[in-house]
Order: sequence, then C-alpha cells, then structure tokens
Amino acid sequence: MIAVLGCVLFASAAIAQDKPFRRPAPTAADWAALAKLPDFTGVWEIPMGGPATRVTNPAIGIPPMRPTPLVLTPAYQAKKQDLIAHADEDNQSANCLPPGMPGIMAQPYPMEFLLTPGQVTIVIEAYSMVRHIYTDGRPLPDDPDPNFFGTSVGHWEGDTLVVQSVGFTTQTEIEPHVPHSDKMRILEKFKLLDPDTMSIETTVTDPEALASPYTSNRILKRHRSWTIAEYICEQNNRNYVDQNGKAGVNLSLPKDNSPAK
Amino acid sequence: MAGCLVAAFAATIARTASAHHGFAAFDTSSQRQITGTVKEFQWTNPHTWVWVDVTNDKGGVDTWGFEGMSPNFLGRRGWSRKTLQPGDKITVTYFGMKNGSKGGEFLSCKLPNGQEMRMFGASPTEDN
Repeated sequence: MIAVLGCVLFASAAIAQDKPFRRPAPTAADWAALAKLPDFTGVWEIPMGGPATRVTNPAIGIPPMRPTPLVLTPAYQAKKQDLIAHADEDNQSANCLPPGMPGIMAQPYPMEFLLTPGQVTIVIEAYSMVRHIYTDGRPLPDDPDPNFFGTSVGHWEGDTLVVQSVGFTTQTEIEPHVPHSDKMRILEKFKLLDPDTMSIETTVTDPEALASPYTSNRILKRHRSWTIAEYICEQNNRNYVDQNGKAGVNLSLPKDNSPAK
Repeated sequence: MAGCLVAAFAATIARTASAHHGFAAFDTSSQRQITGTVKEFQWTNPHTWVWVDVTNDKGGVDTWGFEGMSPNFLGRRGWSRKTLQPGDKITVTYFGMKNGSKGGEFLSCKLPNGQEMRMFGASPTEDN
C-alpha cells in the first residue's frame, strides 16, 4: 500500500501539467445566447457549379475563388520536389486514410454545424470525421499533441466566427505533395453571405514551410432537407495503393455477392 | 453530352479536394461503352459498384466491374439502392482500366426504360 502511494506521489510530481480547462455547466443564459448568433446550424455542402453557386444577395458579393499563391520556402520546395519524384501512383486516401486540415474541409460531401454553449462542432460526412472548435474562452494550447485536424479555438467577431488551429502532425499535407512543418497554423473565418450561403476563408501560415500566407475561400450552401449520411470508408473499399506505390482496383465480385473483405 | 460530363467532372476536382482517391488505375483519355445485364449493384461506401454480365465473342459471359460515386453523393442526385436491379439490361459509359482488365470507372448508363443515369455533373435534386 505504501509502495502504491509512493508511485502516485511520484507520478504527480513528475508530470507538471497545467490543469485542464474545465468548462462550467451551461446556464439558461448560455443557451439563450446561442439564439443571438448567426444561424450556422444545419447541413452544408460546397456546391459543384450551376445556379446554386450564385449568392442570392449580389450586394454582399462572393469572395475571390482563386487562392493566393502557394509559395514554399526553398527547403520545403525541395521536399515537395522529392515527394513528387518518389510519389506513389495514388495517395493514401485510396487506403481510406483521410486528409488532415485544410483538405478535410474541401471534400465533395456535406458538413453539419452544431452550436452548443462554448463549442462549435463540425460533423464532416467524408470519412465520418468531427472537428471541435472551442468557443468557451480557453486559450490555444502551448504544446498540443500533433494530430490531423489540430486543436481549434474560436471566438465571434460580430457575425464572423474566427478560428485558430495549431498542433498538426507532419504526416499530413497542405495540398497533394505539399508538406508542412509542425509549426503550421490555420486561421479560418466563417460568415454568412446570405441566409443559406456561408463563406469560409482559410489562411495557412508556416514559418518553416511557407514563404507567405496561403489563403483560399470556399462557399457552402445549406440544405435544410439533408441529413449527414454514414461514411465508413472500409465498408467496401476496393481501391488500394501498395507498399511499392502501385495503385490498383479489385474488380472481382465475391461468389456470395458480398462487399469486399 | 459526353464532353459536358467530363468538363463537369474536371470542374469538380478543381474546386474540391479529390474524394477518397484519384484515378490512377483508370484510362481517362477516352470513354467507352458496353452493354450487358446487371449481376449485382452494391450501394456502399466509399464507392457504389455495378457488376455487369457481358457476352463475349466466344459465346461465353464475362463479369465486368464498374466503380461509381458514393451512395451519399448519388442518393442526393436521383439515385437509390434500387436504381439498378439484377437482370436489368444496361449500356454503361465508362473509363476503362489501364491494365486492360474487365471494368472501370462508371460514368453513366442507359436504363431499360431509356433513362440516362449519370455519376458526375448532376445537381442535387433538392434545392434546399
């Protein structure tokens, strides 16, 4: 028993951590305050051309659809060239590995925005992913675990949701064959252009990889009759890219007509 | 119309990140057509799949496999899991396999009732 106690004491001395942010229980006022925010709730999708892309209020205007130039530092330009020279025939999404940020926000599938006290949650249909944006006043973490989507903290500036994300694994890419460092940060600004059109301005900065900020804009249209569907990539994945970088497709139908095993 | 399909598809890829995977295994330089009988239609992610029995020039039957868009995408654009039934005679327009195997990327098909069902370029059936 004393040995166990000693272990516990040793453990808490060795790991000097900040106390984790503890969100207080939401009050009735917190729930009521959500009603005063712009209405982001519902299912949205990047339109693929046609009348849906037109913003209904021309006075608001459409942000520039062309991104700013993607300019890499010399070191990262060299990394990019190396990636291209040794590229597989297909990327790892063929093996159902989802992209990280910012690519996960550019998929041709819908996203659902949920607003609750202290948080905006984005349910991403592609690969059934979720992003959490903390709007409860907590700070950006100093030393977050690196991962695919980073850790995101946001706040409202008038009608615009401004979100900072940090802590990205270098396992992901900014664009195909464009690597980034662990110092990449992503700034997003979400705002409604009209009742059912949202604009997302995304700025990627990276002092090691990018010579200048990389900004792109996307439009989302809301679909009030849509629901987020399930997307289990390994349900029947017949594509692959193997260890030698060769891409392939399994065309054969199993004898019992079942999905691929 | 075939040109429109490919252009619509290309515009999609420029605007959004490619979904699930690229087209490395398919020969996208030309569209082909084949007629046969539906053997199986799988309404699954990440891709729907149609297998079509095609009579070959030796009097036998080969089963060709065609990869389609996600049911999530198609279901919002006029398709359902019942759109293709085993036994339906269809003509498929597709990109063939680079390695020559029997199948490819499903682009569109003509149903028994004459209706054309497309993969890309279709707008969502619900405006809102």
